[in-house]
Amino acid sequence: CKKRRTRLSQDAHVENSDPSSHGEEEEDEEELPTPSKATKTEDHASEESVPRPQKLSKGELYKPPTAEELHQLKEAESLFHCNLLKMQMEELLKEVVLSERRKRLVDSFIMKIKALLQNVPQTREVELNDHSWISEGVKVPFLWVPKTTKGKFHMAPPASVSLVGSYPLGTCTKPSVSVDLSVIMPPVRQDASLSQGTPSRTRTPDPPESRTRSNLLCHRAPPIPETVVFKENCNAAGAGLMYSNSLTVKIHVYPPPGFFKPSLFHPKRNNVRTHWYTGLEAPQPDAVGPPTPHYNSSLLGDVLPKAHLQFLSAISAQCSAFGEAVALLKVWLRQRQLDRGAGCFSGFVGSMLVAYLLSSHRVSNSMTAYQLLRNSLHFLASTDLTKNGITLAKNPDSKPTLHEFHSTFQVVFVDPSGYLNLCADMTANTYKQVQNEASLSLQFWDDPTVDGFQALLMTPKPLIRTCDHVFQLHGLVKLQASCKKLNLLGELMDHGGDYVLTALPFILSLLQLGLGKRIHLLTHSLTADPEWSVDSEPPKHKDQTPLSFGLLLNPEHSSSVLERGPPADSPEAAEFRQLWGPRAELRRFQDGAITEAVLWGGSSACQKRLVPREIITHLLQLHADIPESCVRYVGGLFDDVIKIGTGEEESLKVVQSFDDLSRKLWQLEDLPLSITSVQAAHPALRYTQVFPPVPQKLDYSFFEQDKQSRALVPHKDKPCPVFIPPLQVICHMEGSGKWPHERLAIRHVKAAFHIRLGELLRKQHMYTCSTTPTHVDVYKDGLIFRIQVAYHREPQVLRESIGPDGLLRYRDNEEAQALEMETLHRPYLTSTLHGLQQQHPSFGVTCRLAKRWLAAQLFSDEVDEDAADLLVASLFLQPVPFTPPSSPQVGFLRFLHLLSSFDWKNCPLVVNFNSQLTASDYVEIKNNFIASRESLPVMFIATPKDKKVSIWTKQGPSVQMLQRLIVVASESLRVLEAQLLDPSQNQDVRVALRPPLDMYDVLIHLNPKYVPLLDQAVDPPHITFSRGTVPGSAPSTRGLLPVIDFNPVSLYLAELRDAFGHLALFFCDPYGGTVIAVLWKPQAFKAQPFKTSQMSARCVEVSGDEAHSLPNVEAILEDFRIMGDALVRKVEPRMENWVV
Amino acid sequence: MKMAPSAKKHAEQSWVIPGGFTVLPLKYSSDSVSQHSLYVKEHRVRAEKTTSRPLDRTLFVLNIPPYCSEEIIKDLFSTFGKVQSVELREKPGTTESSDLKLSKYFRPALTKGFSVGYVVFTSPSGVKAAKSHPRDIPLIVSTENHPVKVGIQKWIQQYRQSLINPEKLQAAVDTFMQGYDQKKEEESERQKEAEEDDEGWVKVTRGVRGSKARPHSEMANQRALQKEDKKRKRKELLNFYTWQHRQTQREHIAELRRKFEEDKQRIAVLRAQRKFRPY
Repeated sequence: CKKRRTRLSQDAHVENSDPSSHGEEEEDEEELPTPSKATKTEDHASEESVPRPQKLSKGELYKPPTAEELHQLKEAESLFHCNLLKMQMEELLKEVVLSERRKRLVDSFIMKIKALLQNVPQTREVELNDHSWISEGVKVPFLWVPKTTKGKFHMAPPASVSLVGSYPLGTCTKPSVSVDLSVIMPPVRQDASLSQGTPSRTRTPDPPESRTRSNLLCHRAPPIPETVVFKENCNAAGAGLMYSNSLTVKIHVYPPPGFFKPSLFHPKRNNVRTHWYTGLEAPQPDAVGPPTPHYNSSLLGDVLPKAHLQFLSAISAQCSAFGEAVALLKVWLRQRQLDRGAGCFSGFVGSMLVAYLLSSHRVSNSMTAYQLLRNSLHFLASTDLTKNGITLAKNPDSKPTLHEFHSTFQVVFVDPSGYLNLCADMTANTYKQVQNEASLSLQFWDDPTVDGFQALLMTPKPLIRTCDHVFQLHGLVKLQASCKKLNLLGELMDHGGDYVLTALPFILSLLQLGLGKRIHLLTHSLTADPEWSVDSEPPKHKDQTPLSFGLLLNPEHSSSVLERGPPADSPEAAEFRQLWGPRAELRRFQDGAITEAVLWGGSSACQKRLVPREIITHLLQLHADIPESCVRYVGGLFDDVIKIGTGEEESLKVVQSFDDLSRKLWQLEDLPLSITSVQAAHPALRYTQVFPPVPQKLDYSFFEQDKQSRALVPHKDKPCPVFIPPLQVICHMEGSGKWPHERLAIRHVKAAFHIRLGELLRKQHMYTCSTTPTHVDVYKDGLIFRIQVAYHREPQVLRESIGPDGLLRYRDNEEAQALEMETLHRPYLTSTLHGLQQQHPSFGVTCRLAKRWLAAQLFSDEVDEDAADLLVASLFLQPVPFTPPSSPQVGFLRFLHLLSSFDWKNCPLVVNFNSQLTASDYVEIKNNFIASRESLPVMFIATPKDKKVSIWTKQGPSVQMLQRLIVVASESLRVLEAQLLDPSQNQDVRVALRPPLDMYDVLIHLNPKYVPLLDQAVDPPHITFSRGTVPGSAPSTRGLLPVIDFNPVSLYLAELRDAFGHLALFFCDPYGGTVIAVLWKPQAFKAQPFKTSQMSARCVEVSGDEAHSLPNVEAILEDFRIMGDALVRKVEPRMENWVV
Repeated sequence: MKMAPSAKKHAEQSWVIPGGFTVLPLKYSSDSVSQHSLYVKEHRVRAEKTTSRPLDRTLFVLNIPPYCSEEIIKDLFSTFGKVQSVELREKPGTTESSDLKLSKYFRPALTKGFSVGYVVFTSPSGVKAAKSHPRDIPLIVSTENHPVKVGIQKWIQQYRQSLINPEKLQAAVDTFMQGYDQKKEEESERQKEAEEDDEGWVKVTRGVRGSKARPHSEMANQRALQKEDKKRKRKELLNFYTWQHRQTQREHIAELRRKFEEDKQRIAVLRAQRKFRPY
């Protein structure tokens, strides 16, 4: 443990003794007796004044406009896309700005504190080391190292107590309201005690700190019943009192003005003596130690708040929108988790930035808050403060130059005094993150197809959902060793022994160098300021929350296994070797060059995605002595869930095989009509099949054989054979007058085509085929392609009918829709998504994860595959405020977030493939949606080809199921994020894939022997069965026709739904689930009058002359068993859930 | 014939519910715990004229469990008298004649749920016997002599049946298409004849099939109207006269106002849902 007394700052919190308050206004009102009644009526009144939707009369619409109104309307039109954004921002401001009532409460509380502080009694002088005067149960609020510090101090009433910071400025915002209170020490006394306490007054000014503490201890006196909590704050001095959960009062203790000369805090000066710090006698007592810029700026930050307040007040007085602009900027920063923690871009820096823009006339005083925010973001996006720092100081002579600041700090933003760097603790990476966020925000700000307000100010961006890969360093104590290894003693002293903050910039630059092109951005979490109660020991550095780092990957390079370095004989080669250590080796490449290179492991795509992990652990171990066990890399934890084989490679093989088939179909000769298109219509052919089919060699003896059709048939005494899914292929035939114009005839002609296709493929390419009237199955490369012939006019023929007036009319019907879905929409969707996969390599895997989750949670029949793929596609096409996911993990988390947070009731989800939809299309979709909301599916997804109907979600989910889906998704997301971020938790992502079964009414347990996809279950099964496969590769042609699409579980489910669908819902995980969960419909057990059309599975009760019918539950339960004979192991009615 | 007298003996024990249906208990096998009830009644529909369901000999059966195929029902009801035919349907109603003529490959698939049936006996006595079946003697579906295939066995059998010989399928297609072509030819013959008017004149028209075979459609009507509209719009002069210009400006402001009002309304809705709390 190192010394930590270099800060003046100690925050202490007083927590409200009442734990029930959560910062909710309503609750506050109940707690606080004084003005509640008045405000309540006020609130009520404001609700009343909500503009009621009203239609303007013609007279009102066309009356001559006043100049003011004209101006207002014009401004709204030109500034905002519509009034909506302007009004939304106004509403938001209303939410975050402190209400008058709240201000009164704060003021009265501040008055109390002030009075207390003023009345600190004068005490006698004591030795610094003497803690005997501290009241019992209170611990010294900092690490008392080195122990031998000499000095005396005593308590005295402060010279003045005044408000500083955002509260008096009026830029204080909810929810974390903090009020800064400055306490100025009495000048003479203080000086005396200082001079006694330390050899030099610029060195280690502990006494104020002690005083702060003693002040606080006094506060434990009866007048305020709250408990005090200390809080150390890194960038601004402060001792906090927390009042309820929604108000923090920070008490800062400042030396009197003029006590320190600002020039003492020149970033190049040393203010901490090495020998004092280390406790060793310095060899040369007069030697000047290394500069201590961070220490200096933290001291200086304590001196200047008053000046800053004056400066900002002056600016604010000139620009009316200043306060609102800062409030908006604060919300923006907070949603991006940039505004708190060590080295944050705090609200204070934000207001200084706006002040800078105003004072340098980059923006004008008459601008609105909206414009100011926009300009601030534009400035941030375009200005690199890590290279071109800015300063607020007016006359630069005799003050340190920007160049000097740049040489000591990573980010430079100098305050009006000219000595303080406001961004002293900020790392370059944090600033890059700010910049990145700003430019991203500007990108979608103008995009009319995006709900800018939501993305800009309303969507939180936690690290785990923002970054593609995340890793954590836990066991921070190891960083101490890395400081030693990196030779950072001077910096360590500068940071007062906080080895985490010391090592961080060096680790960041190391990783940045190593990852290079692979990443767009490397970010890290900001360590939160520790807080502790007065009666416990202050926390040590190693107890801090683990550091989290986030990577935004560049998908082009992130997974390449080769790191190609400079040529062996170039001077950079040594550098390269130094960076990579033993992993660097000389390699000769195909182009003849011999260069240094590093080759990382990984053969499959999902292993390659983890190359960054290898790099990070290697570099940290090599250069910073951080062992691999301390790095917890969260990037591929979900891979396991969908891994049988590797997945992506199999998908690729399937697609290649399809391409080959497609070519062969085009080239077929002797077809009566030519083929106009061959389109895929199956998830496996767009890389989104959860478990893509794997070709397997079959053991013929396992099956029975059907001699006549040369096909294998499952054997009734053996386990269910391996499941081979048919992959739909739609084959459009050219239109011709030969096609009949009648539905039945078309079906027959199509059957004839199927026969012909089968024959030709058998003859010309030796494929085994099986023909049915609706399709022909082709056995190729161990896969089954189900070719369906389509005729483009058929849906139209199905719709035709002749009306009573003799006119030919078109009436939509389900049959036609189903056919269009199969032959038109699904192939189109498949090819579009296939294209999306080419742009975003992680799209397919994300879809697979999402669908695996949906299936595991028993939702796969509610949200079908196509709808799920569309949902995922929307994450890639409309990622704002994020960037498109570059790893399946973050894609999956965002999928869950989308499900749980999207406002399905009021908004259509627009999936804008290839940017085909324009702004006006969006408006049209939205208007159409609002106009006919009632009749549209609850989950409405619009695509360029489908603006009005949402064909993919027509069948489901229902309102109830969507509700449940939302609940389960948000719960899964919560569990997963907690698990991924907290190293102490057991890492088992499968938790989110195990559905709770206790809410279901009946469970049907299946015999695993007849569940062909058993191996795909979430939890790997204990027993496995032979499924009639032998090792070896499947024949590419010929062979007996395998058993196609034979899955007893789905057959059973279909039968159950046909028979009892009117009474119950059936849920099952299609991927190896061995339980079918049954839920009775709410109205199922209601007695109905006897009707001949509704007597299925019901029994009759006669009362008098009337017969009523009820479901025959006993028989139904037995039917469950009978219908699934051999497949069903046990039917378990959960009688505690229901009664008949 | 043996069953008939015994049924008569228990006649007083048969259960007829209001609505005229007799309840026939039915068990899957003799050791089943629970039972379903079939509801039977003589088939009586005024409008029906099809010969396949003669009124006096047809028994209308409700609530037939999914595992009972037509053969099984035939077996079950043979106890009441010789069964001529059984027809199972998803819902009560008349049959579509076109479906019956199709070959088995093209008939729409039956649903696998509960069904209603029309059992035609060779003589009316079968209907009576069934209606007077005692309520406490259940019909047994699956017996040792006639086991019914359910579950895995049934699905394997179904799979085997789904394998189709292409030649047979081709034959079925050919037969249908021959019939279809013939029908078409006859139709066109008839049309030709119809066109010849009383005096033997033939009206000569442009199209061979297209325009004549199909009646005028709604779509074409609409398209023509749209075309007209477009034409008119193109001819109009915009912002030519001062009053026109003033008018457009007025319209513009009115539009802005309307939008403003709409947006206010939207915000009100959002505010009601507390959509502006950022955290």
